[in-house]
Amino acid sequence: MKRRRIIFVLAAVLIAAPALAQQQVGTATAVNPLSESTPPGGATAPLTVGARIIHKERIHTTSSGTAQLAFLDKSTLSIAPNTNIVINEFVYDPNSGKGHMLASLTQGALRFVGGALSHAGEASIVTPAAAVGIRGGTFMIVIDRTGVHVFDLFGIGTVHNAGGTMILSRAGYEVTILSWTTPPGQPVRVTVAEIDRLLALLTSKPGQNGGVPGLHTVTIGECGLLGTQSTNCPNTTWLPTDTGFNDAGQIITQGTQFGTGTTVQGTTARPGR
Amino acid sequence: MLLALLPDSAAAQTPSDFAGTVGPLYQGILARPSDLTNTLQYAANASADDIESAIGTYEQLLFYNPKLSRVRFELGVLYFRLGSYDMAGSYLRSALQMPDVTPDIEARAADLLAIVDKKRQVDQFTGYVQSGLAYQSNPGSGPGAQTVLASGHAFDNRFFSQSDWNWFGAFAVNYVHDFETQNADTFEASAVGYDAQEFRLHQFDIGLVEFRAGPRFGIPTGDPKTSLSIKPYVIATGALLADTPYYGGVGGGLTVHTNVGNLALDPYVEIVQQSFRSSSFYPLASGFSGTLSTYGLQASGPIASSWGFQTRLGFGHASDNYNPYSYDVYAADLWLPWNFSFPGDGRMWTLIPSFGVSRWLYAAPDPTIDPNTTPRTTEWRAGLGLEIPLWRQVVLATLVQYRADRSNVAAFTMHNLAVSAGPTFKF
Repeated sequence: MKRRRIIFVLAAVLIAAPALAQQQVGTATAVNPLSESTPPGGATAPLTVGARIIHKERIHTTSSGTAQLAFLDKSTLSIAPNTNIVINEFVYDPNSGKGHMLASLTQGALRFVGGALSHAGEASIVTPAAAVGIRGGTFMIVIDRTGVHVFDLFGIGTVHNAGGTMILSRAGYEVTILSWTTPPGQPVRVTVAEIDRLLALLTSKPGQNGGVPGLHTVTIGECGLLGTQSTNCPNTTWLPTDTGFNDAGQIITQGTQFGTGTTVQGTTARPGR
Repeated sequence: MLLALLPDSAAAQTPSDFAGTVGPLYQGILARPSDLTNTLQYAANASADDIESAIGTYEQLLFYNPKLSRVRFELGVLYFRLGSYDMAGSYLRSALQMPDVTPDIEARAADLLAIVDKKRQVDQFTGYVQSGLAYQSNPGSGPGAQTVLASGHAFDNRFFSQSDWNWFGAFAVNYVHDFETQNADTFEASAVGYDAQEFRLHQFDIGLVEFRAGPRFGIPTGDPKTSLSIKPYVIATGALLADTPYYGGVGGGLTVHTNVGNLALDPYVEIVQQSFRSSSFYPLASGFSGTLSTYGLQASGPIASSWGFQTRLGFGHASDNYNPYSYDVYAADLWLPWNFSFPGDGRMWTLIPSFGVSRWLYAAPDPTIDPNTTPRTTEWRAGLGLEIPLWRQVVLATLVQYRADRSNVAAFTMHNLAVSAGPTFKF
């Protein structure tokens, strides 16, 4: 079903291609060299910070290149070194919040942090081994010699290929898919080392600045606040309310009020049963 | 339908239209990503209600300088708030390794990492052990010494209002076994214990322990921001009063957990078969034996920065062997925990104001107390707890609680001021 929808969307994009071809769908917000882009019908050129990203644009990073793309629906893609990705389709109506995003990852790794489209379940990333429909959500997808790895960092991922479908609905789990015809594997817990390695892969390396030099320090209030009150900070755990003190008090109260017996001429009265 | 949408959508994506719908700050990120002031402002605003967008923006800043501990810490907090504990842990650990890390970030990151590390365990234990001293103006909740029973019977003068000190100990252990399923199914068990030994009034010495255990089944909602689970559980309770076996209860319950945004809701129903044993101090206690049914709702959530709430609304119906002891009770409680840094001390203190009210409606007059009046009692509670960090996981927990009962039966009208303090080890 998911695959059929992706094909349907691709067909729709072909029909509407002239209208969409040169439309900006996002911006390169950070770029480490060497990262390149190839617009549809255009020549490959180095990608730079602030560059417009359009439909069908191909982004390629070398062994030292990384990039981050921000899209109109507020989703972002962080792109690892040695990665090939094409923004096949991006349709977004900010007034209704409707549309669809489809990207193809053919090599390398990326981290997708969701926006309006993925919140509506309308973001998909196609890899050589599976199509990943994303609801939420924050996902990492890695292609290496052992297959395609889909990491759920938050949200619901539908991993689908000719071999079957696997739903990833819990953060901290990954699925490995060997090929388009092999059923997706069972979800397994990610390791700390794996997450640490991927985080290091998906940002600047020492000496790089993402194309924006001069950021030496930042001033951020507690939990991202800039002097405003919000519910940002995770609360420190506090002692529970059911400490036993109140239950004990209730037992004693009940005992004192009813259970002690009253004396009538020195004789303990009994309930009239 | 989608085919029809495409041309309109294309038209909707012109920059002028777009600026009006996503806001000028995000428009600024797309147009001028290297404008750091704009980017930081957007990230701060988004942190309040669009966590993922804030994550994307802070990750953008990390591209510009990957050594900023403050940005890594914020990313850790944001992923923590999403429940993405692996990512939170990775960012928080990396924040600690940055050369510009400050003591306040070290302290906060360490607090959160302790939680993250537990959340990653298959078998998770949390809880506390506490010991201390308490003063109560009326530990037995008895009426004033001049109180006369309408029945003409004399009230046992050992139970009139009188003050005393006690030593108390308390503990709670919560255990969660994570079955590592995609529905987040778990097995949960808890034990709570409380023991208080009075200095003089040993008729009020009490020991209480309660166990609860049951599986929690996750239910897929299709929405990552909405969780739903259901948990049947068993309950076993035992209590000593005046150092004599006094109470035993066995029963079960069913609770559902869900969240609507940041609001967590836990409705529950419990039925407990209660068995009381009469003793020399409490010769009529066996009349309390019977069935207690409770229906309630717990809710909790944040109110503002570092300030949250928890509330419990409940209705109980006790059907006791001796009918005048049977009752209905309506209860409402509210706790407002507030975390703050005490001036000059970078550690987190917690202040917990609390308020509660219960309305007790008994089934029939008790001839031994007042043969003509069916007791109706309103119980008011107000408290103030303060947790002061002492050393690592040890806090000094203090609690001041005032309770006042107003009743149409003089013997049930009372008030009690309780003040307690003691070191508490949290794990």
